[in-house]
Amino acid sequence: MKLSSIKYLTGEGIKNAWVNRLMTLASVGVLVACMVIIGLAILISENVNVAIGNLEQQNVVMVYMKDYNWALYSDKKDTSSAESSSSDTSSAEEGTDTSSAESTAEEADKNGIKHSDYVIHDEKEAKALCDEIAKISNVAEVTYISSNEGLETVKESMPDDQKKYFTFLDEEYGNPLPSAAKVTMKDMALFDKTLKQIEKLDGIDAIQSYGDLAEKITAVKNGIGVAGVWIIAILMIISLVIVSNTIRVTMYNRKLEISIMKAVGATDTFVRIPFVVEGVLIGIISALISEGLLYFCYRVATETIITTLGTSDIVKYSDMAWILLLVFLGIGVFAGILGSFIMISKYLRREGSEFAAI
Amino acid sequence: MEQFFSTEETPIPQKPAIEFRGVSKTYMTGTHALEDVNITINKGEFVFVVGSSGAGKSTFMKLIMREEKANTGKITVNGFDLTNMKRKNVPMLRRTMGIVFQDFRLIPTMNVFQNVAFAMHVVGSSDKNVRKEVSKVLSKVGLGHKARSMPSQLSGGEQQRVGLARALINNPDLIIADEPTGNVDPNMSYEIVSMLTEINKQGTTILMVTHDHNLVRDFQHRVIMLDGGKIVADNAGGSIQ
Repeated sequence: MKLSSIKYLTGEGIKNAWVNRLMTLASVGVLVACMVIIGLAILISENVNVAIGNLEQQNVVMVYMKDYNWALYSDKKDTSSAESSSSDTSSAEEGTDTSSAESTAEEADKNGIKHSDYVIHDEKEAKALCDEIAKISNVAEVTYISSNEGLETVKESMPDDQKKYFTFLDEEYGNPLPSAAKVTMKDMALFDKTLKQIEKLDGIDAIQSYGDLAEKITAVKNGIGVAGVWIIAILMIISLVIVSNTIRVTMYNRKLEISIMKAVGATDTFVRIPFVVEGVLIGIISALISEGLLYFCYRVATETIITTLGTSDIVKYSDMAWILLLVFLGIGVFAGILGSFIMISKYLRREGSEFAAI
Repeated sequence: MEQFFSTEETPIPQKPAIEFRGVSKTYMTGTHALEDVNITINKGEFVFVVGSSGAGKSTFMKLIMREEKANTGKITVNGFDLTNMKRKNVPMLRRTMGIVFQDFRLIPTMNVFQNVAFAMHVVGSSDKNVRKEVSKVLSKVGLGHKARSMPSQLSGGEQQRVGLARALINNPDLIIADEPTGNVDPNMSYEIVSMLTEINKQGTTILMVTHDHNLVRDFQHRVIMLDGGKIVADNAGGSIQ
């Protein structure tokens, strides 16, 4: 097609949109409503994802190890002493919290604990276990927390009277907390599977987790995802119908023009282009208005939320502006092209309108 | 009416512009519009097509324009074989013809110039060429001074002259005029047929549907008469008796 034709047809399309301005305005209005809802669905979904991401980050699993302190405070020391003769006789050092001197594995210390009564004997072994945990594919991060660090953290989080109790316990009987590892997971959907993998490792006593929360978070995330896709799909169809309808009205208004065009030898493409231009124009105008409107609404909403709830974990509009604009333009242009194409093709396929007056 | 026409066929040496061979057309409704039509219209001829309502004139024209397809037979128009013509090639056929409608069919929102220019834009002419050619053709039909007028500001005769200018603008080989004098006064009717005769003298084939027997009698051209979907009279090579 020649450049002059493209120029002419584009001009005709813009002219059509203006001539049918009331219909164009109505279409733009409905399209803007659809786009704003789509935009809101995207923004809500993104905010939920960020919030869930934060929860996921905070939802750490505490893995407690079978170290000296564990043996000290569990009933293991009573039952294991009888079986200890066949146990490990390695010359590993005792845990860091034990003040006793080197002794043979079979000899119980002043607390009645033998070397073979516990699995993790020192910090080196504890860190090696942490490395083993880190090797599990869904594990994002592992932080080793020694029993002393653990105790300090616990004490810090407690009121003074309870803090005193822990200090007393530590001084009289030794630190009650075993060595631990703080584990963060990548995908909460694989939570249970990862827990089982950690449990299988030698030296793990217990795992403190919030499995239910993980499941709920995953369910909410999936639910929002599915709802978002449906909302967008339905609104896309609505957008398509709206544009098609406008084009149909324009087409019937221009019935005479089309019949003359066909009679003088216009190709289907030539007849179609002004309608496609009109449809695309409606889409672009709607996209730009939607972007501005959503920016304004989102700013007002987020300012209110930040002031009221004091949270700052809200997605900035500027981070989403380009994506939203592209989505809106995509929807607008797609609906414009497809809507006009469907309508005009349907009309052009109907032969016998050029010479009807004879 | 048959006695007014000579039905004798004489051999014509010229190249055919329109050729129908054993053409029949039956609509989905079961109406037999044309039955076994055989006719040749040569390049440069001026032909009146006459017949009462339902005679098949409309179908005859629609088949020439390839707005309808024949059920049987072969149609050739301006060198295009319409029998198996694909839909995408129809615009090329139509660019070889100009059409004048009874009801003028001018676009009311466009002025005279734009109504004519519109047909040139369809075939992809440049703006410069459009300006030049439209002015020329409007002068030819005597409307050079009314280029900026809207159709509603023109008389019936003037509107039909705009329609004629639009049909002529792309220099077609064939002009199909559907009762071009149907909505104009007798004087203007003669003027329009005179214009078509002048155009015909320059080599353009003219096919004009009319009910006006005075025009047929006064302008000595070939007459094809249709009745019940058949050609009942054709004075090819002869004259009206």
